[in-house]
Amino acid sequence: MGGKSKVTFKYSLVALLTLSFALSGCGGGNDKNAAATDKAKATTAADSASANTGGKVEPFKVSAFIGVAGQQPTPDNKIYKKIKEETGASFDMEFLAGDINQKLGVMIAGQDYPDLMTGSTKLTAAGAYIPLEDLIEEHAPNLKAHYAEYWNMMKDPNDGHIYILPNYGVYNGKVNSSWYSGPAFWIQKAVLKEFNYPKVKTLDQYFDLIEQYKAKYPKIDGSPTIGFEILNYDWKNWGLFNAPQHLIGHPNDGGVVVKDGVAEVFANKDYAKQYYKKLNEMNEKGIIDKETFVQNYDQYMAKLSSGTVLGMFDQHWNFNAAEDSLTTQNKIERTYVGLPLVYDESTKDHYRDLAVLNLNNGFGISINAKDPVKIIKLLDTLMDEKWQKLFSWGVEGEDYIVENGRFMRTQKQRDDAADATWQLANKAKSLFEYLPKTEGSYSDGNSTDAAAQPEEYKAGLKPYDKEVLDAYGFNSYVDFFSDPPPNPVYYPAWSIDLIEGSDAKIASTKLNELQTKFLPKAILAKPAEFDSVWTDYTEQIEKANVKAYEDKINEQIKWRIENWSK
Amino acid sequence: MDETLEIDTGVRRPKKNKRKKQPITWRVIKNQNQLIWMSVPLMLYIILFAYVPVWGWTMAFQNYRPAKSFGEQEWVGLKQFKFLFTDDNFIRVLRNTLAMGVINLILGFVTAIVLALLLNEIKKVFWKRTVQTISYLPHFLSWIIVTGIVATSLSINDGIVNIVLMKLHLIKEPILWLSEGKYFWGIVGASHVWKEVGWNTIIYLAAIASIDPALYEAAEIDGANRYKKMMHVTLPGIKATIVILMIMSIGHVLEAGFEVQYLLGNGLVVDWAETIDIFVLKYGLAQGNYSLATAGGIFKTVVSVTLLLMANGISKRLGEERLL
Repeated sequence: MGGKSKVTFKYSLVALLTLSFALSGCGGGNDKNAAATDKAKATTAADSASANTGGKVEPFKVSAFIGVAGQQPTPDNKIYKKIKEETGASFDMEFLAGDINQKLGVMIAGQDYPDLMTGSTKLTAAGAYIPLEDLIEEHAPNLKAHYAEYWNMMKDPNDGHIYILPNYGVYNGKVNSSWYSGPAFWIQKAVLKEFNYPKVKTLDQYFDLIEQYKAKYPKIDGSPTIGFEILNYDWKNWGLFNAPQHLIGHPNDGGVVVKDGVAEVFANKDYAKQYYKKLNEMNEKGIIDKETFVQNYDQYMAKLSSGTVLGMFDQHWNFNAAEDSLTTQNKIERTYVGLPLVYDESTKDHYRDLAVLNLNNGFGISINAKDPVKIIKLLDTLMDEKWQKLFSWGVEGEDYIVENGRFMRTQKQRDDAADATWQLANKAKSLFEYLPKTEGSYSDGNSTDAAAQPEEYKAGLKPYDKEVLDAYGFNSYVDFFSDPPPNPVYYPAWSIDLIEGSDAKIASTKLNELQTKFLPKAILAKPAEFDSVWTDYTEQIEKANVKAYEDKINEQIKWRIENWSK
Repeated sequence: MDETLEIDTGVRRPKKNKRKKQPITWRVIKNQNQLIWMSVPLMLYIILFAYVPVWGWTMAFQNYRPAKSFGEQEWVGLKQFKFLFTDDNFIRVLRNTLAMGVINLILGFVTAIVLALLLNEIKKVFWKRTVQTISYLPHFLSWIIVTGIVATSLSINDGIVNIVLMKLHLIKEPILWLSEGKYFWGIVGASHVWKEVGWNTIIYLAAIASIDPALYEAAEIDGANRYKKMMHVTLPGIKATIVILMIMSIGHVLEAGFEVQYLLGNGLVVDWAETIDIFVLKYGLAQGNYSLATAGGIFKTVVSVTLLLMANGISKRLGEERLL
């Protein structure tokens, strides 16, 4: 290179660098333009697509954000392949990694939304979803029929639009339930067997059994027996907070008890004190795990999976995985029975409730979706019974068999269905969880959920379970619970959106904080000190403006009664 | 570094005029245009990533709602700051942050310097390398793993800490370390040391390596033993590095951390565990109140810059190295 060209080279290099930096700064603007042209293109494409319906399917991509951690399906997944062949849609799924609030915060700050997003009040508040009611009316007859009964409930209380399609809680036909997923006091089957299957109704009877069993068997498989476990970790805090409302015969309303349409916080009431006092007593006797308040969810699950924990208050779905592990280890006697405990036998238990619409959950379509019409049409297609069966039961002949019109599974198919690796290749589980779905039974009378199909449930029962159920004269473990009465219109209060950043939300956060801090203190205190800790606690709650929280709940209950009543 | 230069030129007084600022003329610009062009990308980079984001600070004075444009935002003045400073928890949270920050700072410095000095005394290269590698490996673990290890080792069932203490007959019954507020700061400090000590040592070892061996020889001739050499040659030799790093770290005192406290904290120790970052997460980000989160960030920045300038000023007063 000569001197001159060397100089030119240097200059151009510098210029290039400068340019690249400058451009990276202006990237945003360019993207927007690109997006706009894309949108225009997509709309025309959609128009032409809808024009020649019935013709060849045009492939398109739908990006989706799933609000829980999960695994990507295999690239040749059976179900996704079918969807792609028949509707042209392929899914590009993003699973949550880390903290949901943090992730949503980042998404909102960058206005970076995929086409479909997990329902969240945060995203609603940020204006991230498009209203769906007109789209459904125009393009989605199946969805319209599916949600017809629930239309008003789905409307956002703040502006009356529908943003999210609830994923659970819309029932059709006969509802078979043989699996209880909700809250209860759980006790190991072995404990019940030891004492010859007694009827356990009250909290006192329950702890009595645990105490006796622990005294008799101080060690299980070589490890010390743990009487009672309380999980109070992050948002999984109901194990500590929620029991008192159930013990007075009230269903799960979250942080409040609603009587005659009026909500009140129960955390500081006397019936709550009664429960924590009992726990305090039990702690003094060494029944409660010493580490219970310092453990995280993993440690909790590890303890349950080891089979050394006799009982706990929890929601079934929360520790389901630990039970699976116990089953795999062939320790059926260490799995749990849910008991609907109350303070005294005259109170009727109300743990089990009729399924409610899972508001603020499911999918919403984001404002960044290039072609909402196409997406809603896709969701509508997938609502079809043919697709619903494919999602839930799988492919006929491969994943289930039909005998006299009843869906059944062979043992091999049953084992496959429980195998997580098999699921990744043969099920669209994570997507289906968030899609609108038929629950209850199909038009041909088969259950939408294999576990709820009575024949299937019976066939899958282990001998040990048969023994327990026979001893009580029950068909399934759900029979331990009283039949649920009809839900009040507003129910459940826990699904009320407190509005991000409002006084009500701040008060509820404060209340949460105080409970997390003082309840463990009260339970671990010396019995003589319990009362003073409790007084301290209730005084702090009074200061925390819980009134704002109660007011908001009551206002929304009124609103629901006015707008949801048919 | 400038300081030493200045002192140098101060001695040779007559030359000082030469250092007088040249007026910037077109001729100078033209002569140095390559330099100027080369600095342009860096300038852009700095503006883009260090100054443009400061614009986001306006959020702290608004009731920021993400979907709205700047013009539509509601301005609320100092409301967010008021919420932050008047909350009952704030003093406690600030105390925790400062306490853990200072503990981490001091423990981090002392242990790293001591380890560097000790490593320097090891003459067998193989052992030195081995110790060094083992001590800096935990740096590459994320906090979630480290807190997992910490929680497991502090467990009462089969936690190694309790086992060792029991075997040594220092305690009669296992202690539930994570349930007592008074232990929490210590646990956080110790975790930090375990994770970072090896890594922090590297820079001191580098500084030690640059000390003129002649000084050691001279000291030896004067009859200095190992310990004396360490005190009078090695330590003064790395003084500059220590001071500069100290000043930089003081600016980060309020960054006491978030993950350790969040992951190890629980209801029983919350009074000692909650830091400003956790507070801001709870009442800011988790509530969709980005304005409060920003206000918290501004507060931390202002305090940090103040501390940094103070440290720098004191250092200058004492005639030590300084950063600015």
